[in-house]
Amino acid sequence: MSEKKKWYSLDLGLNRKKSDTACGCGKTEGGCGSHKPEMTDDAFLEAAVNASIGEEVRKDGFEQVFDVKMDRRSAFKKLTASLLIGAGAVSTSCSVISGDDTKEKAQIDWEEQFKGNYKLMNDEEKKATVDRLMRSYELRTGKNISMTHENAEEDVLFGYAFNISKCQGYMDCVNACIEENNQDRNSQMQYIRIHEMKDGKGFNFNEADDNYYHEVPAEGHFYMGTQCFHCDNPPCVEVCPVQATWREDDGLVVIDYDWCVGCRYCMAACPYDGRRFNWSKPEVPENEINKNQHYLGNRMRKKGVMEKCTFCVQRSRKGQNPACVEACPTGARIFGNLLDPNSTIRWVLENKKVFRLKEDLGTEPKFWYFMD
Amino acid sequence: MNRKYYIYIFTCTFLVVFFSCKHNEGEYHNLNDKIKAVSKTYHGTLSSEVLIDGIKTLEITEGEHTFLIPERKSQIKSFACIECHNVGLDKLQSKDIKKAHWEITLAHADENTMNCATCHNGADMNSLNTLTGSKVDFNKSYKLCSQCHSSQFEDWKGGAHGKKVAGWAPPRASYTCVNCHNPHDPSFKSRWPSRYNTEQVEAPQAESGH
Ligand code: SF4
Ligand code: SF4
Repeated sequence: MSEKKKWYSLDLGLNRKKSDTACGCGKTEGGCGSHKPEMTDDAFLEAAVNASIGEEVRKDGFEQVFDVKMDRRSAFKKLTASLLIGAGAVSTSCSVISGDDTKEKAQIDWEEQFKGNYKLMNDEEKKATVDRLMRSYELRTGKNISMTHENAEEDVLFGYAFNISKCQGYMDCVNACIEENNQDRNSQMQYIRIHEMKDGKGFNFNEADDNYYHEVPAEGHFYMGTQCFHCDNPPCVEVCPVQATWREDDGLVVIDYDWCVGCRYCMAACPYDGRRFNWSKPEVPENEINKNQHYLGNRMRKKGVMEKCTFCVQRSRKGQNPACVEACPTGARIFGNLLDPNSTIRWVLENKKVFRLKEDLGTEPKFWYFMD
Repeated sequence: MNRKYYIYIFTCTFLVVFFSCKHNEGEYHNLNDKIKAVSKTYHGTLSSEVLIDGIKTLEITEGEHTFLIPERKSQIKSFACIECHNVGLDKLQSKDIKKAHWEITLAHADENTMNCATCHNGADMNSLNTLTGSKVDFNKSYKLCSQCHSSQFEDWKGGAHGKKVAGWAPPRASYTCVNCHNPHDPSFKSRWPSRYNTEQVEAPQAESGH
């Protein structure tokens, strides 16, 4: 690893071959007070994260943002939670009882807990954290995943176009998105929403039916999909107090799930209902996990962090289309490079009558709607 | 005195105007300006070539658009047609033999507008024919569709109608009409959505202890 690290890291003795005393107190067995009976790592993490989220009610959408109570006690609880996680890692790695695997796990947990912001990392540091996360997954589950950290490609600015006259409300895109992005199967957080709207009423989101379940397309209705629009001037980025979310050079607005403190300011700032919060621990059955992951994309999230559509960064930075584009049977979804004058998305922008939602806000969403 | 005053006002106005319209390099009034300004044909490292590897394609040029479409003939189960249709259609008609293609019914346009012969050539089953009777290869069947569906054809050439075979990166490979539409029954059918949308299940509130 490089010399000029931007954070402090603790050597817990894994790199030293073998020291005769595993604990600072000099005793090899119990008695110094730091060898407490141990909680399993996962149980501990769970408890700490629970403490930091508190007892807020599980709600969806804007209600989550505007209905939050916070007293001194819970604020203090939140502050202590992170320290506890770190302390847990130290106590495990100091322990003489735990085996090599447990110690390695603890070392990884420590380094992950106190690593820097991904946005500030150089390639080497990015690789290191991705390697740690893969190793950690292996240690925990015995299975391998492949996680990458491709940076934004030069001369690329991603954009998206949605054909309102083509969408039939089949919801195949939502299914594909959930599977591709390892979304929690219980909470129905779904990055994509398909709104069923009445013909002749314009785009009236208040009267739209978001929970239709009947044969589609329904007579006299049209369908309109929304998701994160990857604004070029994103208000969600502006408000983040810890810079856990930012705009990448290829226009993707991304989140570092390990840096996010779950304050949900960004959710309140987004005018398009583009962000989703993990109110509970996201659960994905082991055999359904998509193992092709990107650090900023579909890697496994934890309770209490924000997530949202990333235009499938794990796919788009490899030249592929996002999963929703590929899954749509009607061809209503078009994705491409806005900077390339020969791309199909540019043809759509230049030759169809396109519009964006709430254009007057100046957020410059890179998501256009058009009709045949 | 008065003159000094005027000069002072003039200088101030000039300075304000001069600085107010300044943008830093790389900043634009809006996204459209920016896209136009930094526009550049993509020659980067990403390519769709690996993604369409293994799919037989052919390159077509229509107007100012040149792109790949999937090859069709190898995908048709009983191609070449002349393996059965070795004589003209009129000579193949007989009462007693088992009919081929019996499962095909035409649900495309009404009978006054089209029948089998609108696209198929009874004298040469291996290729299709246009309204005026000129030959069209099965691989380029979009040429038949475009005779009537001209606006869809324009959109398809540009990329606003239809789907890409694989990624967004060049080279562009687009599905052709018959990859999504069955030419004998081309409309999309109504069906059940593949899942519920958003908050269908009520969030469990009791367990949080309120
Ligand atoms: S749509 Fe919302 S979440 Fe997405 S970039 Fe814009 S403001 Fe941020
Ligand atoms: S929830 Fe996370 S990403 Fe959003 S503003 Fe708070 S810290 Fe930033």
